[in-house]
Amino acid sequence: MAMVGSRSTRRARVWLWVAELAGAAGVPVSVASLCDTAMTRLEVDGVTLSVDTSAGWPETRYATGALGECLAELQVTVGEGPSTEVRRRGAPILVGDLDTTNSQRRWPMFAPLAVEAGAHALFTLPLAVGVIRVGALSLHRVAAGQLAPAALADALIFAELALGLLLDEQAGLPVGATETGEAPTLLTPQVHQATGMIAAQLDVPLAHAFARLRARAFADCRPLAELATAVVARRVRFDPDDETL
Amino acid sequence: MDNERLVETFVELADTLIDDFDMIDFLHVLIDRSVELLDIDAAGLLLADQNGQLQVIASSNEHVRLLELFQLQSDDGPCLEAYGTGHTVCHGNLATANARWPRFAPAAVAAGFGAVDALPMRLRDQVIGALNLFRRQPGPLTDTVLRTAQALVDVATIGLLQERAIRHQEVLTEQLQAALNSRVVIEQAKGLIAERLGIDMEGAFTALRGYARSNNLKLSDVAGKVIAGRTATGDLLGHD
Repeated sequence: MAMVGSRSTRRARVWLWVAELAGAAGVPVSVASLCDTAMTRLEVDGVTLSVDTSAGWPETRYATGALGECLAELQVTVGEGPSTEVRRRGAPILVGDLDTTNSQRRWPMFAPLAVEAGAHALFTLPLAVGVIRVGALSLHRVAAGQLAPAALADALIFAELALGLLLDEQAGLPVGATETGEAPTLLTPQVHQATGMIAAQLDVPLAHAFARLRARAFADCRPLAELATAVVARRVRFDPDDETL
Repeated sequence: MDNERLVETFVELADTLIDDFDMIDFLHVLIDRSVELLDIDAAGLLLADQNGQLQVIASSNEHVRLLELFQLQSDDGPCLEAYGTGHTVCHGNLATANARWPRFAPAAVAAGFGAVDALPMRLRDQVIGALNLFRRQPGPLTDTVLRTAQALVDVATIGLLQERAIRHQEVLTEQLQAALNSRVVIEQAKGLIAERLGIDMEGAFTALRGYARSNNLKLSDVAGKVIAGRTATGDLLGHD
């Protein structure tokens, strides 16, 4: 039976968790508070957020603990692992047990090293909007086993929220400013189409175009989906000579 | 109905345990063959995500896509009903359906459709999504066509759940998320193409799809290449 509205309820609940944790610590919502919240709520042993850099390999932005940081570095060092693959495929890789023949066939260098370092389960979620690749959120557990369905659904929401925070930074917006936790994220098809159009109008990469679109929506106090619709309908154009952004 | 083509279609839909299985392309086969074989004018497909929320994954043209989206957002329409009840929903005269679907019916009529059928993608008590078939002419679908449509949907559903039954729930999640992200790439490419070539989104999608077919490439791959500049936008024209 379809549960209409359950996704927005789940999203609101996850956002509240993050806001509460940050609030209790007396700090604004951040990537760090999001990761800390995820670790507790998802009952995993560590959460690591990495971001893509122009250097071509990801950088660890925040890790709740040393093991997560170690796993991230291992993957960069050996040049293989779920981290690279999720970025290529734009889809999560959920490994319940790194200590299986399957895992070792897939990552002959990384899998045994990860197990040796103490991690048996590793769930890597890409932070991306189509071709706009921002980074990845990794969750690990010492014990083997998949995430329960509810935890998996929450994990995907955490990833969406993390993506939003990073995109806010990229667009020069106050972090968390566009997130209300309410309606499912307003990434409608028009938003993506508008991103493509703006990239062509300004002759810039899509990531840059997306940042400009979000920044303009925020500056004009206009819902992103609405501005996007206006762009697609050709009522709004982005001009390379525009100095308002 | 072209029987050979029908058989071909069943074989294709049953073959999901391949290494380079691509959900978007797979569902486009279902959609495109439905339009081709069932004497209908358009089709759209929605799958449920982890939260039971329906997401548009594929549609035979831009108009239908708009409608699917409309259905989701306004919380009324045959597809939502089919998904929610697990039963096929048919309406042979959308002009008289305003009471049943106050938002969907007028929008469907405005888009030029007179009749709709929604088939749940269902295996026993598990419903994973729904297929919407649209026709311009009002009137019912024949029993033969409806049974064929159901068989296509059933084969596709089993195909999608095969891997899951053999492996784990995680595979379906990974596949669905990959499909959703591919969908975004396609939308981004449409925008880029529409702006560069000075055409609308429907034209941009047609150009993308035509090029993918002519060159036997995945839709999302072509979209990615166009964005990355490895396929020139101009090359997309002239492929229908």
